[in-house]
Amino acid sequence: MIGTPLTFTEEILLLLLGEEDGAFLPVNSNAFECALAGATLMDLAFALRIDTDLESLIVLNGNPTGIAMLDRILAKIAAHPKVMDARSWVRLLAGEEAGRIREEALASLVDRGILEQRERRRVGHYPMRDGTAQRDIKLHIREVVLADDIPDPRDVVRIALVDACSIFPEILSEREIRQATPRIQQLRIMDLIGREVAGAIAAIQRTLLMVIQARLARFRKYVLAFAAISGVAALGTVLIPRIPIPDRFGPTLFERLWGNGAWQEWSGYALLALSVAGFAAATLRRARFVSRLGDQNWWRLVHVGLGLSCVLLLFAHTGFRLGSNLNAALMGFYIAALISGACAGVLMGGATQLRRLGFAQVGKFSRIPMRVHVIALSALPALLIIHVLIVYLY
Amino acid sequence: MSRNVLLTLAATVGTLIAVSIVVVLMVVGGDRRVLLVGATTDAHHQLELACETCHSAPAFADAEAAEEALNKTCRDCHEDALDDNDDSHSRKRFRSPRMAAYWEKLDARFCTTCHVEHRPEITRESAVTVAMDFCVACHSEGDQDIRTVRPSHAGVTFDTCANCHNYHDNRALYEDFLVRHAGQPWLKAEPVHALSAQHRAWEPPAESAIGRSEAVAPASALADPSTIDHWAGSGHAAAGVNCAHCHAPDAAENNLQKEVGESWIHVPTASVCRDCHRQEVRTFALGRHGMRQHPQIAKPRTPETGLASLGVDAVLPEAVTAWLSDPAPPTQMRAAEARLPMRDDARAGSLDCGTCHEPHAVDIEHAAVEACASCHDDPHTRAYFGGPHHALWLAERAGEAAPGTGVSCATCHMVKSKRRGKVTTSHNQNENLRPNEKMIRPVCLDCHGLDFALDALADVDLIVGNFEGKPDVHVESIEWAIRRAEAPADALR
Repeated sequence: MIGTPLTFTEEILLLLLGEEDGAFLPVNSNAFECALAGATLMDLAFALRIDTDLESLIVLNGNPTGIAMLDRILAKIAAHPKVMDARSWVRLLAGEEAGRIREEALASLVDRGILEQRERRRVGHYPMRDGTAQRDIKLHIREVVLADDIPDPRDVVRIALVDACSIFPEILSEREIRQATPRIQQLRIMDLIGREVAGAIAAIQRTLLMVIQARLARFRKYVLAFAAISGVAALGTVLIPRIPIPDRFGPTLFERLWGNGAWQEWSGYALLALSVAGFAAATLRRARFVSRLGDQNWWRLVHVGLGLSCVLLLFAHTGFRLGSNLNAALMGFYIAALISGACAGVLMGGATQLRRLGFAQVGKFSRIPMRVHVIALSALPALLIIHVLIVYLY
Repeated sequence: MSRNVLLTLAATVGTLIAVSIVVVLMVVGGDRRVLLVGATTDAHHQLELACETCHSAPAFADAEAAEEALNKTCRDCHEDALDDNDDSHSRKRFRSPRMAAYWEKLDARFCTTCHVEHRPEITRESAVTVAMDFCVACHSEGDQDIRTVRPSHAGVTFDTCANCHNYHDNRALYEDFLVRHAGQPWLKAEPVHALSAQHRAWEPPAESAIGRSEAVAPASALADPSTIDHWAGSGHAAAGVNCAHCHAPDAAENNLQKEVGESWIHVPTASVCRDCHRQEVRTFALGRHGMRQHPQIAKPRTPETGLASLGVDAVLPEAVTAWLSDPAPPTQMRAAEARLPMRDDARAGSLDCGTCHEPHAVDIEHAAVEACASCHDDPHTRAYFGGPHHALWLAERAGEAAPGTGVSCATCHMVKSKRRGKVTTSHNQNENLRPNEKMIRPVCLDCHGLDFALDALADVDLIVGNFEGKPDVHVESIEWAIRRAEAPADALR
């Protein structure tokens, strides 16, 4: 295989790798999978093993191509009991085979000496051993897109795949993209499979967008509610007059909460644990092991819910008394973190309603409370450690 | 490196630096006022710079040891006074295992059960930090149920206990005392404060008096004739105390001009006063005025001692040593630091013997009234002037009334006692200040009946007005005590 031209699958995979560190570019995962599936079908089409029209994709020749990955896909198409159109095959292969296609194509690129050996690279990184191939493909695509000539059919396929993955910004400058956009639109529909790949991606993305928006809308409702309650409660810490400590001797709840050292110790540690959990829910929600337990929206909701719990526990721990000196600073930063977090939650959760009310710049403004939230949180570890030290040393 | 990584790194480094600084302040030395978790009580704010006065447990001691150490420091300063007051809820009594059932209710073995520092939001009168109806904890059930033991108390609620009783000093309400003083007129036929009368009537033996011709001092010190005039008319001259006694304490006693001149101190310190007025100087340090000189106040830490406690023997640069040294608290209380209302023109002043006792005049009458009013500017102080006690004071000073009939600030607030035939004045003005029933036995009863005294001291408005008029409040303690004393024996069971 070494010495043979790169397959479309290998080319698109190579284009999806960053030049510097070999990490995959941040491409929508559905587009990525559809592009790999489409590239495989194009490889089979150009090897004259399959043909396609608007309604069906059929096997012309079941003989092996010599490339194991293509032969496996060819066998799968041939063995399939139903005749399906190209878009259906793109979607099916994207769902069932994309991961394997990716691994096999990467292994092939390593065998070709284009990518580094596995033992010399970090997890998730595929640095170039020889960047010439990637550079040549990019330069070629650039020339084709910016020229006025009728392109080679293979170039049409490449353009369709690059456009499907939205990675033209890696090849062209912004000005060149603006200039070449009409030609790209024209070229990418010249190839049927390329068109179906784009269509499949668009259809999947539309569906996904609807699902995401539906789920987001559901989550936003809860996020908005939790954040609003948290914000009001946190604001209450500053504005509402302090609940007086009972002037009756005896084990009342408030007397225990604010007068009993052991209760305060427990409420303090519970508050600390919830705060750390809230921080973890916000910062680790993208981590793979966390995302298996729930998507980002769910973790965002968990974060806001924990924030609300923190407000309640803060009341149990302090009775909303601000304290003195460093304790006052700790309360100040903590309340600032709660209020700013609640504001960010309200702006996020209530974005749709706010836009309807004429606040078009909701997204822009939501960054302000988020920054305040982060700044306030950054001061908390030191103040919390000092607070605990003071309690135990004095 | 991305911006987020940089910011995270900066926050981590900042956290470590801040925590390290605070740990150094805690363990080695430096100004720790920023670590105060709440305002210190009026009783202790003068010593809040010296944390180790109360927080004497080693760092990271377990909670039990820390609490025991903390309570020991309370006792170190207050136990003598509690013993003197015949503490009715003494720690000794509650340490007995037979009182174990009460430990769960209100653990009277520890001062900190009821007095927690730095909690201004729950600090009540007399630095009590539990609800003032705390008597309910032990006296609402069983054989200690006060409503059963004392039928007179059947309808009384626990939030009113402190109106008459004091947890530690209940001497004003001992039943036999109440019964013995029942039926007295509000003002006695010859209202004289006996110890004040003796004190003011006392004169040193005539043979010890010296005159202005015998004063020995450098010529420069005698340049102002008013100084020697004041001294010559003072109790010091009458008692034979020459200039050198105070200004040249290290000079030989033969008062040779040369030696006195060589040892002359222009402004002597309180330690000179202590040589003769030991009791006064000792008690001065026990009250709020002289508390800064209290012997139990911890000395400021130095970085050397702090590092040595960690096993580190290091020589630090001067700037670091200065930063790591505890701020030295002032040695004298300043009027500006007081939490009571003070006159604006007194705020710059600090308190030592000379603040109230003009050193050469030694006019104890000035010290008894005008000196107080030169700083204190509260309604009670202002109302004194022109009030009934002041009128008596003026009459006595004018020679129109017998010694001891006049009532000065010191008459009530600076307790006099007699030891070995000599009357001394406690300079701890807090000794009988709170609860004010403490004044009844040593002060009020010399002139007033107990019934009137109890009522007067329970009437807040009358106190604010410095006893102009009669009390509007009536305390029924005497009636209840008489009823109980006269009740048949079986009714008391």
